[in-house]
Amino acid sequence: MDFTFSPEHTALRRMIREFAENEVAPIAAEIDREHRVPYDVMRKLGEVGLLGVCFPQEYGGMGAGEMGYCILMEELGRICTSTATNVGAHIGIGAMAIYLDGDEEQKEKYLKPLASGEKFAAFGLTESNAGSDAANINTRAVREGDSWFLDGGKIYITNGGYADVITVLAVTDPSLGARGGITAFILESDWEGFSVAREEDKMGIRGTSTAELVFDGLRVPQENVLGKVGEGFVTFMKSLDMGRLTLGAACLGGAQAAVDWSVEWAKTRQQFGAEIAHKQSVQWMIADMATEVEALRSLVYRVAWMVDSGQSFTQLAAMCKMYGSEVASRAIDMALQIHGGLGLSRDFPIERAFRDARIAEIFEGTNEIQRIVIASNIFRQHGVRIRP
Amino acid sequence: MRIFVIIGRVLDPAGIVVNRRRGRIFVNQKDYILQPADRCALEAALRIKDAVGAEVVALPRGLQPDDDVMRQAVAAGADRAVHLTGEAFAEADEAAVTDVLAAAVERLDGADLILTGSTTLDAGQGQLGPRMAAAMGWPQVLDAWRVMATDGQVEAVLQGGSGYVTVAADLPAVVTLLPGALKLRYPDGARLINVYRGEGDVAEAVATWDVEELVDAVEPLLERRGKDFPPERERGMRVDGSPEEMAQAAAGALLERLGKVGGHDVIS
Repeated sequence: MDFTFSPEHTALRRMIREFAENEVAPIAAEIDREHRVPYDVMRKLGEVGLLGVCFPQEYGGMGAGEMGYCILMEELGRICTSTATNVGAHIGIGAMAIYLDGDEEQKEKYLKPLASGEKFAAFGLTESNAGSDAANINTRAVREGDSWFLDGGKIYITNGGYADVITVLAVTDPSLGARGGITAFILESDWEGFSVAREEDKMGIRGTSTAELVFDGLRVPQENVLGKVGEGFVTFMKSLDMGRLTLGAACLGGAQAAVDWSVEWAKTRQQFGAEIAHKQSVQWMIADMATEVEALRSLVYRVAWMVDSGQSFTQLAAMCKMYGSEVASRAIDMALQIHGGLGLSRDFPIERAFRDARIAEIFEGTNEIQRIVIASNIFRQHGVRIRP
Repeated sequence: MRIFVIIGRVLDPAGIVVNRRRGRIFVNQKDYILQPADRCALEAALRIKDAVGAEVVALPRGLQPDDDVMRQAVAAGADRAVHLTGEAFAEADEAAVTDVLAAAVERLDGADLILTGSTTLDAGQGQLGPRMAAAMGWPQVLDAWRVMATDGQVEAVLQGGSGYVTVAADLPAVVTLLPGALKLRYPDGARLINVYRGEGDVAEAVATWDVEELVDAVEPLLERRGKDFPPERERGMRVDGSPEEMAQAAAGALLERLGKVGGHDVIS
């Protein structure tokens, strides 16, 4: 076993950390306060190739694999959850669906400009009646000749308000259900029949766009069917596996930041005549946080290695997302406790991190769904198929 | 135009803690960064390349533990780099390093311009630039904020008096850049991955040479005769009591110390 990062991944982390500290950190509080997507940062990420970090170089990517992508998400998550979320929705699920199941023409037309940041992506799955029950979607696609016409809509779509390219699921055969009756499509946001109905005003990740999308007789050409007709649900579940791993990596960054803030504060804050680092209650909190962070780090990068070496990872990706989001929430909560009243002040990043952390337990499949995924995989290995 | 840029690395100060009370330095994290002034020299070279076209070649400022700095230079945009190794190089002082670098420049068919940092974060001697100029017999411009080369001349902006002055020198020349003068660009992601993997059009961009192939002998001017530390400073004293008592104690201690310094009793 070798737990060291390769020289290229070490160099990549150095580059990303410098980028995050120079370009993202100065605007992290501002975009949260102003509820603003950091488009400039997103474009700069594209210019240096980071929006294509995991895609092969033949598609305009960097070719750094899932390991490189996890490093990107960890470093962004350490500085700004909103920026990590924008990037995660763009690469990890939006563009990823095209990479995983798109044909060569689709990759040429869509993946290349997404990898360079010339265009932005979103992933349209959730509907008002289909959240955790993702197969219960109502958006309908009907074929007429070499076109499909979509009617319906999506809610809570990250990047939805500004994405140029959106991958969506629609029912193409109601008689067949999720396996056979649902198809994935690639949409462009400037097509007639596509509109953004509203933007959510959220508690956390306020530097992101979370939008409701409406499809009203939206014509999609046949060549924009993503994968095979009837197999869209599988495409989307595969994309979510990738997204869940890297969401875990972003949570790792957030949790590590909580440890770092707590240690710095404990070194300087004096109570009862000594720095609070000397208080056992604070030591125990920091020890617990740091231990969970290290366990999460091992999990995230082991799964990244599994992806890059072509192994199956669905169950472990669900663990990354579930455990990562809960470790981040606990660590940030403890960091706030260590900082006392100051933790609630907007002069410090902890209150923002506290608000931002909560969504990670919900999006890309709630943690309850992750537990179902994990348990059903375990039981399947023991010959039992769990019924939904 | 051919520009040589001489760069090195240093322990990241962010990972170092100085405990003055215990008189010790703790290296908590052994991360290395490019020497800040050398980063500026590299960026200056790349800007000249962008503006007028140039081949940028990176060389190390002395022995480096590995070729990482050379790969960083190519990732940022240098066309090629030569990593220099050899046991003899480990004992090299600035004079010997200069000899080796001058030989490397000659082996690589010469340069029009040599750029490097004006100082280093660790040794801080600032000798390399002037020594390179002397070794090559070229003019030197030290401590520049900006540099641009065109038509056989190099122009540099320096701090002079209360403002800035622009100076010019004929090429070939040596220019040193101040730390913080320029912000080094981010490398292109795919290029960075390729240079570390040794793939694509930068697969052959980093070469490794043994210094023994360049010079007959590495001959430092300095001789190391061991390590010695200055005598421990006498500790101060803490005085308590009323302001008058504290002032009296402090004055008494000062007088006692003055008496020791003079070697006789100064209190009459």
